[in-house]
Amino acid sequence: MRATFAMFVVYLVVIVAGLAYFIALGLLAQ
Amino acid sequence: MTRFLKHNGLALFFLVIFLAALAGQALVGHADFNHQQVAHQDGTVSLSRYLTSSSFGVDVLENWQSEYLQFTLFILGTVWLLQKGSPESKRLHKAGTETDEEQRVGEHASPDSPRWAQAHGVRRWLYSNSLLIVMASIWVASWLGQSITGRIAYNADQLDHQLQPVSWGQYLVSSDFWDRTLQNWQSEFLAVGSMAVLAVYLRQRGSPESKPVGSPHDATGVEG
Repeated sequence: MRATFAMFVVYLVVIVAGLAYFIALGLLAQ
Repeated sequence: MTRFLKHNGLALFFLVIFLAALAGQALVGHADFNHQQVAHQDGTVSLSRYLTSSSFGVDVLENWQSEYLQFTLFILGTVWLLQKGSPESKRLHKAGTETDEEQRVGEHASPDSPRWAQAHGVRRWLYSNSLLIVMASIWVASWLGQSITGRIAYNADQLDHQLQPVSWGQYLVSSDFWDRTLQNWQSEFLAVGSMAVLAVYLRQRGSPESKPVGSPHDATGVEG
């Protein structure tokens, strides 16, 4: 299950990083 | 390694095609953006500049938000709403959040149940709704991101046409924001509804999204 948990973390990291990146670039462009 | 690939094939496959599609979107989005720039007699931008533009951001996030809304509504809706004959529905007598015994929480949890399923109070409530909470949070954050990046891209267009830029509040009630939002929502809602209904009469042998091929049409909540 350790590898499966790693996939779970990878997906969360991709989603959170993507959201943070796009929201930050939108806010910085204000 | 082979074991890892076998046990995580679904997650890996979708992660790889997600990254490939996003890279493709970046390349063709960049080409389209520069095409529009030339048509407006404006300067072209580099790929790296396009990747940090709100124009790219809003195109990505308007799709993210609709996907996460789709799953949020599907997770929430299927707690109470049923569809006779569908493998996407629960059995017809199971509408609602079900008993602690059926959900194996608290004193009904087994030794290998997640620890927070065995807990009481806030921890159990949080864990009992954790999938919905996370999916809904991603939907809200991506919809917020769509509104922030969408406004910047919209205002760039406004300025290009010598029109007044709009505030975030004005953008939230603009036709551009709702056009981007609803064009994604409509396709998701149709896809979810059709999946629930088409799977009553149609089958895919071997897929857990389908009933077993020989399962009768009125069998509800049966997965293959």
